[in-house]
Amino acid sequence: MATITASPPRVGLPALLKHRAVHKLLLLALAAAILVPLANARWASGTWPSALTVDFSEPLAKASDWIIDNRDSHPLFLYFFGHVSNVVVIAVRAVYLTLLAIGWAGVTALGALVAWRVAGVRLALGTAAAFLACGLLGMWVPTMQTLALMVAAVLASVVVGALLGLAAGLSDRMDRLLRPVLDTMQVLPAFAYLLPVVLVFGIGVPAAVLATVIYAAPPMARLTSLGLRGADKEVLEAVESLGSTARQRLLTARIPLARKELLLGLNQTIMMALSMAVIAAVIGAGGLGDRVYQALASVDVGAALAAGIPIVLLAVVLDRVTCAAGEKIGAEPEPHGGRGWLIALAGVVAVAVAGRLAGRLDWPDSWVVAIAEPVNRAVDWMTAHLYSGVPVIGGTADWAGHFTTWVLDPMRDGLQALPWWSVLLIVAALAWVIGTWRTALTAVLAMAAIGVLGVWKPSLDTLSQVLAAVAVTLVVGFATGVAAARSDRLERALRPVLDVFQTMPQFVYLIPVVALFGVGRAPAVAAAIVYALPAVVRITTQGLRQVDPAAMEASGSLGATSWQQLRQVQLPLARRALLLAVNQGLVLVLAVVVIGGLVGGGALGYDVVFGLAQGDLATGLVAGAAIVCLGLMLDRVTQPTERRAKKGA
Amino acid sequence: MTEIPTLEPPTEQTMDSSTPVFSVEGLWKVFGPKAERVPADPELTALDPAELRARTGCTAAVRDVGFDVRKGEVFVVMGLSGSGKSTLVRCLTRLIEPTAGTIAIDGEDVRAMDRSRLRELRRHRAAMVFQHFGLLPHRTVIDNVAYGLEIQGMGKAERRERAAEVVAKVGLDGMEHRRPGQLSGGQQQRVGLARALAVDPEVLLFDEPFSALDPMIRRDMQEEVVRLHHEEGRTMVFITHDLQEALKLGDRIALMRGGRIVQLGTPEEIVGSPADDYVREFVRDVPREQVLTVRTAMRRPSADQDGSGPAVRPDATVSEAIEAVARAGAPARVMDKGRCVGVVDSDTLLGVVAGTEQTAPPGTVQPEEAV
Amino acid sequence: MRIRTTAAVAAMSSLALLTGCGAADMTKQASPFANAQGSRTVTLSVQSWVGAQSNVAVAQYILEHELGYRVDTVQVDEVPAWDALSQGRVDALLEDWGHPEQEQRYVKDKKTIAPGGELGVTGHIGWFVPTYFAEKHPDVTDWKNLDKYADQFRTPESGSKGQLMDGSPSYVTNDKALVKNLKLDYQVVFAGSEAAQITQMKQFAKEKKPFLTYWYTPQWLFEKVPMTEVKLPPYKEGCDADPEKVACAYPHTPLQKYLNADFAEKGGKAAAFLKKFKWTTEDQNEVSLMIADKKMTPEDAAKKWVDSHKSTWKKWLS
Repeated sequence: MATITASPPRVGLPALLKHRAVHKLLLLALAAAILVPLANARWASGTWPSALTVDFSEPLAKASDWIIDNRDSHPLFLYFFGHVSNVVVIAVRAVYLTLLAIGWAGVTALGALVAWRVAGVRLALGTAAAFLACGLLGMWVPTMQTLALMVAAVLASVVVGALLGLAAGLSDRMDRLLRPVLDTMQVLPAFAYLLPVVLVFGIGVPAAVLATVIYAAPPMARLTSLGLRGADKEVLEAVESLGSTARQRLLTARIPLARKELLLGLNQTIMMALSMAVIAAVIGAGGLGDRVYQALASVDVGAALAAGIPIVLLAVVLDRVTCAAGEKIGAEPEPHGGRGWLIALAGVVAVAVAGRLAGRLDWPDSWVVAIAEPVNRAVDWMTAHLYSGVPVIGGTADWAGHFTTWVLDPMRDGLQALPWWSVLLIVAALAWVIGTWRTALTAVLAMAAIGVLGVWKPSLDTLSQVLAAVAVTLVVGFATGVAAARSDRLERALRPVLDVFQTMPQFVYLIPVVALFGVGRAPAVAAAIVYALPAVVRITTQGLRQVDPAAMEASGSLGATSWQQLRQVQLPLARRALLLAVNQGLVLVLAVVVIGGLVGGGALGYDVVFGLAQGDLATGLVAGAAIVCLGLMLDRVTQPTERRAKKGA
Repeated sequence: MTEIPTLEPPTEQTMDSSTPVFSVEGLWKVFGPKAERVPADPELTALDPAELRARTGCTAAVRDVGFDVRKGEVFVVMGLSGSGKSTLVRCLTRLIEPTAGTIAIDGEDVRAMDRSRLRELRRHRAAMVFQHFGLLPHRTVIDNVAYGLEIQGMGKAERRERAAEVVAKVGLDGMEHRRPGQLSGGQQQRVGLARALAVDPEVLLFDEPFSALDPMIRRDMQEEVVRLHHEEGRTMVFITHDLQEALKLGDRIALMRGGRIVQLGTPEEIVGSPADDYVREFVRDVPREQVLTVRTAMRRPSADQDGSGPAVRPDATVSEAIEAVARAGAPARVMDKGRCVGVVDSDTLLGVVAGTEQTAPPGTVQPEEAV
Repeated sequence: MRIRTTAAVAAMSSLALLTGCGAADMTKQASPFANAQGSRTVTLSVQSWVGAQSNVAVAQYILEHELGYRVDTVQVDEVPAWDALSQGRVDALLEDWGHPEQEQRYVKDKKTIAPGGELGVTGHIGWFVPTYFAEKHPDVTDWKNLDKYADQFRTPESGSKGQLMDGSPSYVTNDKALVKNLKLDYQVVFAGSEAAQITQMKQFAKEKKPFLTYWYTPQWLFEKVPMTEVKLPPYKEGCDADPEKVACAYPHTPLQKYLNADFAEKGGKAAAFLKKFKWTTEDQNEVSLMIADKKMTPEDAAKKWVDSHKSTWKKWLS
């Protein structure tokens, strides 16, 4: 022992890291020792002091009133927002009318033939089946409304995103400017984007489309920039050496070289747009989301499911087709590609015209299978039999009740009982130990901003739900991830499940949990867990699998048991990936916990819903801002020193 | 080396072999903050790289380099990685902007060219082949080859036709519609070569074109270059770190170290009379008999030997002479234009192979004979 | 850089081309989904409670089957519905519980919304306890005695205080202020939606547990779970003017219909019909009960009511 203590050079890297962490903590403790008594003396401890809050509701309410009063007269609205709104309405309407004009058969044929050209026969059949299922569920018109909104929003997102990405990809200054903004936008919950657009545009389709664009454009911008920057330097040099102009270089080399990233960007944009277009039902997007929203408001699980299934089908089809398009890149071009498209187009036209002539543009009412009733009967049966009082294991409602009483309540009360400065200290300590002083500063400022906004208590309530959900997610996710990393069979079995779960819009998760757990905080937490789990499992598995095989082999050759290997080699080496899993888990959980306001989750999410429902935008906006701060804080607290490459969405 | 670069416009000049294609003088490329002060300051230019870096934070990749590339020759720039050779070749068409010095192509000042003139130079006069090929993965072979012509604004049918000819010339018939990703490394570099040839440039620049290839394929490609050079006589500037390759292809070789040219000469001069210990160490393992010519090894003929023994040309390699001497069992005569200029016997030839023969100092061989 | 400017210019000019270069008043835009395929469409706003669903279901059924309109329904809560109504994104709001501020702004100042007459139903909000509990403890029906029972109304969500259960965030409520101003030992707990609230109430009723809830009439649930109102300090005109200082009961409100002003003028038969639409509390409850308790679809429930009340609705069409 003496030799070890006597030889400081032998301190390894982890010990050194710990050393640095200790330094940081000591420094923080010192700062706390000076500041805390001061703060205590001035404002007392306990909840956030009211002397430090600024009441924004008055000015916000005034601003909101001003906007409503001036929306039809002020030049800013008449000459700018009015036009924006007009273009959106015209575009959505044009797409919607086109879809209706081709009729259900035409749209199904169009979808299937596009899928056939881009992705092959199997996906084409899947696409056709998906569209027909939408019709069978009696959701044809809402599906078309959502589709019309999506098409307009995705086109706008792609244009905006590509332009921003082009700017960031070509100019270093723009890149430095845009990157942190885009990175931050990616971690914020969709729900937080709704209110600012409602403030300007009022409830309705234009607001929904714009919120969708704001939410869905960042991935396109990031990936465009990434693709442009990641282009093979030698190819660009070769192109330059042939005497190309800057414009030729961009059009013939840089953009084509980035097409994989561009397609990935398109894929992510579509998925995020769908997710948002559904959530935007809360601000009047109409379509499928509206049906889910209506059904959730009356806890009509059957109706919610009937609208939820088309959303899932749309998501899976859109994801698979764009992915397949991405994979096809670089493969041998088909000799008669043009002719195939021509055949496809002719097929669509033929079907559409046939539909028109037969007068069968609308989905026939008699072909609708009403699933709401049987589903509701099943749910009722479940409520009656499984809900509570099941011997030994207890019912689902019992679980929810126990979870609320034994986990959520103590956590919420505990957090709310903590002195406000200690919450800031904990945030600072965590963020600084894991990241840099910069991330720590951002995290503390974000947390403090929540206090200043005057929503300290509801935010801690939301935080308690997030933490409870993340804890469960991580336990289950890490266990599953470790198991999947050790067994190829399990991983293969899990992969399609994870794929499907990762493509589903957040809104859909609320439906089954309401059926199982009723209404309250527990179902919100459950939905968040289910939503975040796939990403955590996937990142964990990948992280463990990417551990240097040589290190594994070496430890194996030394006779380590597989448990020892896992504990001593894999987990330490996969530390980064695990941290990323925590980070992603938090971000995703927060996104759903706030939507949980729609099913009785309370706290910040409820305030947003309340603000929207009562037209009390001041309350809603403050809650939205608090959600943003909470998201920022949670992201920074768990942010490894380097920025991750992309979101696991 | 001693030639003064032509500064007059090349219009009145006839393009005879004495007008260099590239004429480079006092060329510097310095990377780092305020790089332009380094070549101008004699105190800084005297520093070695480490000192320069410490003093100014700058790195000099190319330091005071000068040479001429003559029409129709294969000019090889050789050096280990980090010697500045790749930077040097990029300076020739200003893919990297030089810090100081002059570069002239056919007597026209490259550094004074404006953007459009420079593009013109890159489009028509000098084309480059790259180490990792630099092909566009989303285009077919034929469209990659036609890319330079497309840049120039040539119509689709015409450029495809031209490209097809070049594709055939480099032996890629039947692969026109493949994508680069479907080709082997050697085939990809043939596409790279074809792309450069398609624009019919005055000079071909090669930047370590074969170092990413397997040895067998590398040899094929080297022979391909030799063949092309024989057929078309195009001027080539060839960058390599492989001495064998340099000796095989080069009419003249510039050997670089630390950004400077340490020796410039024919393969024979480099191998036969290394300018310093570095070069000597470098060429130590070269089979000298395959590089040195009998001119280096021969001694003055004595009168009695005139008329007997096998005859060899003065530019025959020593190994060829050894074969002749061994077969005849007698010393061989070195015959130039019907006149016996010297004699080689087994002793002198062995001396060359062993490296004990003290060859003539550089400069004794006239430059025009080395071409 | 040049490319970006070009793109921006192109985008701006196409925008200008699409919209014309003049002013664009976004408060006069219809929903992009309205009037598709040449059919006449009426967009009705639905609120989340079942009574409102019943109004809309019957109106929709008659509009579609008797007048040949196509009907879109949009779930909008009351206050945003006013805004949507003003902008023409919604044509009619069939059940409004009284929003004087909005009425002042849109009906009187901007004149973008026209009153559509009374619905015929009188609404009243109040605090209720189940009748089985009120019978055992008759004094609970006076607010002054509520604190005595706070213990019995406690739940995990309300912590140490008694629970006053509120419903959907969209409902008109002064409960938080009331609890504060009447100095009651209660905590307002929001169930988040009416459905959640009803589930809870049914659960309590099944186990005959006491509960105190925000509730309103007309409401079909009274048929299933009889409840008795707790008397709050009596309502006087204007006592609820300042939401911070409210300390009185909720008023009895004759529920109103409102139409978009343009629609009211040019809406033809549909507008005329919606103005005349007027039924009783019993009618509404009948439909509501079918939807909420018998789990019929709103359409089926409406059909059943329409089939058996011909004389009532024939008057709306004349």
